[in-house]
Amino acid sequence: MNREVQILLVEDNASDAEMTITALQKNNLADKLLHIKDGAAALDFIFAEGKWSERQIENKPKLILLDLKMPKINGIEVLQRIKSDERTKGIPVVVLTSSKEDPDIKKCYELGVNSYVVKPVDFIEFQTVITELGLFWMIVNQTP
Amino acid sequence: MDKKKSDELIFANKELAFQNEEKEKRAAELSIANKELAFQNEEKEKRANELSIANKELAFQNKEKEKRAAELVIANHELAFQNEEKEERAAELIIANKELAIENQRKEKRAAELSIANTELSFQNKEKEKRAAELGLANIELVFQNEEKGKRAAELIIANKELAFQNIEKEKRAAELKIANKELAFQNKEKERRAGELGIANIELAFQNEEKEKRAAELIIANNELAFQNEEKIDRTAQLEAVNKELESFSYSVSHDLRAPLRAILGYAQMHKDKYESLLDTEAKRLMGNIIGNAKKMGQLIDDLLTFSRLGRKELVKIKILMNEMVENICHEFRNGEGHTKIEFRIQPLIPAQADSVAIKQVWVNLISNAIKYSGFKEKPIIEIGSEIKGDEIIYYIKDNGAGFDMRYINKLFGVFQRLHSEDEFEGTGVGLAIVQRIITKHGGRVWAEGKVNEGAVFYFTLIKS
Repeated sequence: MNREVQILLVEDNASDAEMTITALQKNNLADKLLHIKDGAAALDFIFAEGKWSERQIENKPKLILLDLKMPKINGIEVLQRIKSDERTKGIPVVVLTSSKEDPDIKKCYELGVNSYVVKPVDFIEFQTVITELGLFWMIVNQTP
Repeated sequence: MDKKKSDELIFANKELAFQNEEKEKRAAELSIANKELAFQNEEKEKRANELSIANKELAFQNKEKEKRAAELVIANHELAFQNEEKEERAAELIIANKELAIENQRKEKRAAELSIANTELSFQNKEKEKRAAELGLANIELVFQNEEKGKRAAELIIANKELAFQNIEKEKRAAELKIANKELAFQNKEKERRAGELGIANIELAFQNEEKEKRAAELIIANNELAFQNEEKIDRTAQLEAVNKELESFSYSVSHDLRAPLRAILGYAQMHKDKYESLLDTEAKRLMGNIIGNAKKMGQLIDDLLTFSRLGRKELVKIKILMNEMVENICHEFRNGEGHTKIEFRIQPLIPAQADSVAIKQVWVNLISNAIKYSGFKEKPIIEIGSEIKGDEIIYYIKDNGAGFDMRYINKLFGVFQRLHSEDEFEGTGVGLAIVQRIITKHGGRVWAEGKVNEGAVFYFTLIKS
């Protein structure tokens, strides 16, 4: 279980996850993608704990796609942990949410989110947004 | 014989000497009596003078009393008393006059007697004729004086009559004064009555004051009640605000959560189409198209609902809006849209207003897009936009010559998801005008519309003049 993870998708909604993965696949960006379904498991992976204790924390993903509404530990808490830890705060985190009306937008930016994206209802638009995100963060963006 | 004759002569002489002595005595007595009379006359003159002075004094006093009587009611009693006094005095004068008259008569008698005595004397003593003549003259003088006194007494009688007349006048005056007093008494009674009436009026006023105080007390109670009700209303308002917030957060979260499954429906439908379209026949493609179309429509509804619910939560930021600039920009954008080139916009000078520019822009966008939507099918669509000031309001209107509407359904025009046209005629979610109404109401303005089927519609909204 030591394969390289370039994109970590933290999403509890299976449909959204599948659509996201489908969109990324179309541009061959989903090969090194890991889908985790809740916040607690995501933190285990990121900080190499529990199930992921054998993982090297330094092998950081190039992008974390983070849903906000999740059971157990929600997206905000996950974001806070990532951005307040020196080892992980450099990982680009893009928050995906269902509505631009979300009151958590402001909080996300205060916590240092790299991008905040509203998932379009229309699938064609959705695909476009996800593809652009993937391409930007995986290919255009340069991490330190 | 001679001696006898001589003795007789001596005796006769003695007799004559005696008679002369007697006559001399009698003359001396008469002289005394005359002096006495002269003295009495002087006394009477003095008395008459005193009476004259007294009369003048009385006249003066009467005048004084008239003055006094005119001034003082009380003085009348005094006057009446003084009048009585004067009457008494007059009566006394009358008596004195009578006495004088009697005395005069007595003196006349006496004078007559003296005249007889003198005649006798002149007979008896020619020697003494001279003296007697003198006495006669003196008597004539006395008679004259007596006549004078009689005259004087008559004058006094006249003066008394005058006084009596004056007394009558005074009595009349006193009677008049009595009448005046009665009049005064009547006036006093009137004043007392009036005072009584005023007393009653005062009591009435006091009662009214009490009533007013009572009323004021009642008003204070009513005010307290109102204050209490206001507090209740404030509480109620706070509760309503809380409920509204809850409702808004509910509608927000419903819309939010509805989007996820909708996105899934659209996503899978699209994926299905992408993968299997080539395998589908026309009917299967049509059905799939309807699924996607309806799902998209639902997405639009949710977005509109979200916009609508957001309006309730958002605070207004009021700035000065140059309406012409805003409206012209919006119309310009619309004109560039597909198939809108034939629309004629007639934009009148628009009055600037103090309002939330984002919200008001939304209002214009909704109203103008509506006008375009419902008049676009016409050969020559005309949209007119204008404004006017009425009272403390600015009225804005947008008029089109499009489909219009039936005024019977006006109450449905501004309701959420309420539509007066089928989707086949004009597409839409039925939220646009509800949003317009919500924004304008939040600004303290009003919204209304007039329309006629196939002739067009006019939409009005107002903003408070700043």
